[in-house]
Amino acid sequence: MTSKQRVNDAVVGSTVLAVIVVVVATILWVNQSSFGSNTDSVYARTRDVGGVGVGNAVVIRGVQSGRVDQIALGDSGWVVVRLALDEDARLPTDPVVLLASSSLFGEWQVTVLDAEGVPNDRELRQAVEEARGARDTLPGALLPDIAQLTAVAGRIAGDVATVADRVRTAFDDEAAQEMRATIRNLASLSSELERTVSRQSRNLDQVGTDVQRGVRDLSAAAAVIDSVARRVDASTSRGEITTIVSTVQQAAQELLATSQQLRGLSADVGRTQIQLERAVANADSVFAKVNTGNGTLGLLVNDPRLYSNSDSLVIELRALLTDIRTNPRRYFNLRIF
Amino acid sequence: MTASTGMSPVSRLGRIVRGWMEALGRGSRFVRETARAVPDTATWWPHASLHARVLGVDSLPIGIFIALFTGIVLAMLADYSVGDIVPPYFVGTLVQKTVTMELAPVLTGLALAGRVGANIAAELGTMKVTEQIDALETLAYDPYAYLVVPRVLAGTVMFPVVVAAAMLVGVFSGWLAALWLVDVPTVQFLKGVRLFFTEFDVRYGLVKSASFGTAVSLIGCYCGLHARGGAQGVGGAATRAVVLSAVMILVLDAFWAIVWLTGRTIQ
Repeated sequence: MTSKQRVNDAVVGSTVLAVIVVVVATILWVNQSSFGSNTDSVYARTRDVGGVGVGNAVVIRGVQSGRVDQIALGDSGWVVVRLALDEDARLPTDPVVLLASSSLFGEWQVTVLDAEGVPNDRELRQAVEEARGARDTLPGALLPDIAQLTAVAGRIAGDVATVADRVRTAFDDEAAQEMRATIRNLASLSSELERTVSRQSRNLDQVGTDVQRGVRDLSAAAAVIDSVARRVDASTSRGEITTIVSTVQQAAQELLATSQQLRGLSADVGRTQIQLERAVANADSVFAKVNTGNGTLGLLVNDPRLYSNSDSLVIELRALLTDIRTNPRRYFNLRIF
Repeated sequence: MTASTGMSPVSRLGRIVRGWMEALGRGSRFVRETARAVPDTATWWPHASLHARVLGVDSLPIGIFIALFTGIVLAMLADYSVGDIVPPYFVGTLVQKTVTMELAPVLTGLALAGRVGANIAAELGTMKVTEQIDALETLAYDPYAYLVVPRVLAGTVMFPVVVAAAMLVGVFSGWLAALWLVDVPTVQFLKGVRLFFTEFDVRYGLVKSASFGTAVSLIGCYCGLHARGGAQGVGGAATRAVVLSAVMILVLDAFWAIVWLTGRTIQ
């Protein structure tokens, strides 16, 4: 081997070696591979990993704390994801793994968060709960990526376009004229409304004034009531109310006694009524006899001669009395002993 | 009047196809002879490092030079094209992906096709027209083992080395351009580089460049060994070598894209 060949070998070998070392070092640096630092492997399972791939970031509370180390198909339709977490990374109390795109441009990441922090979406929480159960494996779920959201938005946009098209179809020239007429009516209505409001405003001003006056009266009345209340309070404090109450109590007792007396009187009246009815019945019998002319009283009432005789007798008696007053000694002779 | 004058179109088409088939057959026989000579290591091994240095190490400056400006242009182009649409870190993504997977292998391959292909074709063509190859055969040297195999192996091995260096320089120059010319911070650029970077990107570029090296050196050797006439024939062989190498690089580029990228996503 000549010296030229040795030089060539050395140059080529060193060049190849240098390029290989630099390229490998660059790849490791870009991949953020770390040698000598320990990582903890954590497993999670989910039905689908979406766009998550090996090397994607694992984020805990927004801080990158590891990378996706391995993705493999598991049993029963699960996908098992191995996460290489930094040694100092601390998992939440009830850790849950969510796989989601981290931007609009296809970046994906794995987020480890507490179960309470899972978005309040029924299907998502159901997926998380379904992924529970495996020992030493965190439950995971896939959030819809931007493509799915865009697809939904696309459908919504299509619906909106359809509605807009229908509106455009419905909103023809006739509709425009009707719309203009409606607007004119609306303007007229608005001016009318303005006048009405103006009138009502004046009325409201008047009402306001009345209310203000009423309030003032109420205020005065309240002052009077307050004064009365103060007086009542004062009279209460001086014992007048007590006196009034005792007086009323005494009056009530007297009223009660009077009521009892009235009740007795009422009983007497009842008895008297019975006797009266009996007397009326007797009198009625007597008057019937009188009317029929039976007996002495009947004769007296029904015989005119008796009246004439009685009348003449009265006349004579008056003459007698007159005479007696005039000449008493003629008729009376009073002797003592 | 040439022989083709008065030929029917069908006969002319048949002649063209036959010419293609003959070229394909000659190329296939050439490749077969080269492969047959590979086990003769005693003949080609002592010269391998020399050709590796000439074809690879001495080609590093041109590869680095091309990559240097390619990275700058790419960063500017990325910012110009989509700078207002996507986050700034996508400048890094675009530079990394484009340089690593496409521009470094292809542009470097095309540059080396001119330098290496023409060099090999001119050297072997000169040996051919000066009957040095006949002399080698007279001395019981296998021209394939002595002349072709070390060049083809050197090209196959050293092209990826040059392209790897070009990848590094291209991304680095894109980084500097992004930082100084389009105002993308280093953190953003690195985020973009790391965002979608996979080892496949590098593997794809290096394998592709190895195939380019094989094709360029094989075509250079073929054209050189089939040179006819004097200096004009050597010049024609060098020209054919460059043109065919460039075409083959593009064909292989499409071939690898179809083989490796069909149905593959970035994840």
